[in-house]
Amino acid sequence: MRAHELTAAILAPPLAPIGHGDRQLVRHNLTNAIPAMVENLPLGDQVVVTLAMLRQVARDPAALSRPEEPFAWKPAFVRRSLGLSAMDACINHRFSSPTEAVGPIADQAVSEWSRTGWRTFHWEPWIAALHPAARSAVMAEAATWATTLWSSIDWHRFDSPLGLGGPDDQWVCTAARTVRLKGRSELQVPLEATHGGGAESTALVSVAAGIPRTGWETELGFLALVASLRSPSRPVPSRVVGLWPDAGQYRSVDITSGVLTAAGDRVIACIGAVVDARMSMVV
Amino acid sequence: MLVMDIDRREEKGGAARRETAESKSRVMGSWTPLAGDALLDRLRVTGRPRPLADPDRTARLRETIERGLAQGTVANQGGPRDQSPSPTPLVITKDRLTRALSPGVHHDAIGFGVQPPTTPMACGALIDVLFRQLVTIGSIGDPMSDGLAALALDDRQAHLIAWIDSLSGTERGTLAAEVDRQSIALVNRWPTLDPAWLPRTQLPIRVDVAAGAVELSGRVDLAIGRPGLNVASVAIVEVKSGTRRPEHRKDLHFYALIETLRSPAPPFVVATYYTRTGELDIDPVSDELLAAAARRTVAGARALGQVAEGAAPSRLPDQQCGKSAVLPGCRPGRQRVTADIGGYRR
Repeated sequence: MRAHELTAAILAPPLAPIGHGDRQLVRHNLTNAIPAMVENLPLGDQVVVTLAMLRQVARDPAALSRPEEPFAWKPAFVRRSLGLSAMDACINHRFSSPTEAVGPIADQAVSEWSRTGWRTFHWEPWIAALHPAARSAVMAEAATWATTLWSSIDWHRFDSPLGLGGPDDQWVCTAARTVRLKGRSELQVPLEATHGGGAESTALVSVAAGIPRTGWETELGFLALVASLRSPSRPVPSRVVGLWPDAGQYRSVDITSGVLTAAGDRVIACIGAVVDARMSMVV
Repeated sequence: MLVMDIDRREEKGGAARRETAESKSRVMGSWTPLAGDALLDRLRVTGRPRPLADPDRTARLRETIERGLAQGTVANQGGPRDQSPSPTPLVITKDRLTRALSPGVHHDAIGFGVQPPTTPMACGALIDVLFRQLVTIGSIGDPMSDGLAALALDDRQAHLIAWIDSLSGTERGTLAAEVDRQSIALVNRWPTLDPAWLPRTQLPIRVDVAAGAVELSGRVDLAIGRPGLNVASVAIVEVKSGTRRPEHRKDLHFYALIETLRSPAPPFVVATYYTRTGELDIDPVSDELLAAAARRTVAGARALGQVAEGAAPSRLPDQQCGKSAVLPGCRPGRQRVTADIGGYRR
């Protein structure tokens, strides 16, 4: 994978935006199907659909029936936020490479938390309590993750300010049990509008471990779907680019009404699988 | 780009310096491990032209592997090339490949079973995390404390940490002494890497072949240099705390193959650094090296595929027996290990 090829794929002229009617139809399909699917779940239960869950349902559905491990911080959970922050510092010329940036960024976050109690990333207290060697292992993980992404893209080609990380897109479906869709992208890239009206347009970039597998189109489309549901007044992202650095591969999908519909169908199937797994455990 | 510029500028001078350093060692009649800039020069100046990005090379390697797999049972696990990958590929790592190609194919060759911990294994795991620490922050404190603290973050090492905790004072002292000794040597010899060379530690690399039926997977201790350029610019380094073994070079060739299949250009060099002795084994990457690695991968994948299909693995004991997770239940393996230990003692 060459940086200029991936960057060109991200910045390619966007298609015409999806019409309001098509967006409404996808939303309607979801709000029609989901409530009936979850109504028999135990009271207080909720379903959170993420890209990781969509992939899990497709590749390892049996995992849904296994008890969830209690959350514990790991270097892999920190690398994204620390890595993106390090990259942001590089883009703003504070550091020349992520390797240089991760240490000072982590130290700064911890000292800021110590001073104010405010947690920008949530991992600050965990990092602060770690042995220095363990902290260096966290930094190494973030540095490698960020360096790989840093060297995959030709950053000079972006004219407009990028979004790096940021809050997840979220949409909650009105139902007897809470169903929440969460979409997370690593980059949000403004695109030049080439179609009539000059509406703003965005490409999302999603980074994943491993190798692209069957269904990658709808998985990437899921991120556009959640963005579309979250904010009906904003245009649907024109494109979602998936990056699999381990494999040196990327995939790009232009968001059409067909892609959104397929992503919606995938969400419904995923919720069905989750509900089945949970009900089987209840019985 | 910076990496390449530096490398090209110093290609000639570095070769001269290396020759001088090696000649000096020969003249003195003793071998001295390389350190600092000399070690770095040895790593980046191979004396051979660096390979260029070549899509045809990648296609040829892929074809060699896929044609070879098609003759065995492995490729049947996937569909035709234009179909989606199989969701459960046969994953090939360097360790599985080596085990599969050992004279006696072990029962656990296809698995990722937990191997019984040993002192060398513990030393290796500790040196791995200490090396990563050194590359990332440039220093190591108390090696055992630092190593154990870093290992504790990795769930997969829980059994190893528990085993280290269970050691007697003497055994633990022996382990700590070796880890200390190797760490001090590492700090003294390993060069500081410019962040502009984009060092990546514990870098996962993987590719799928045969329509996803097979996945070649690795985790590189250290990769340096900007990937994705027209001229090979990446160096891959593995760190070993034990003694030199022939299969270590093959491990690196396997990594060179994966890197070539996943990137526009191959790595220009693969190297094994032995922290116990300071030895550095260097292999400039060539088309011949990659072709041989592809053939070996095919042979290993076919052996693993046969075992996966239910073929009984042979019970020929070999030097891998000591590492086998099924050793307690394998009489020939136990006899081999006992004989090895007896021979060593004599």
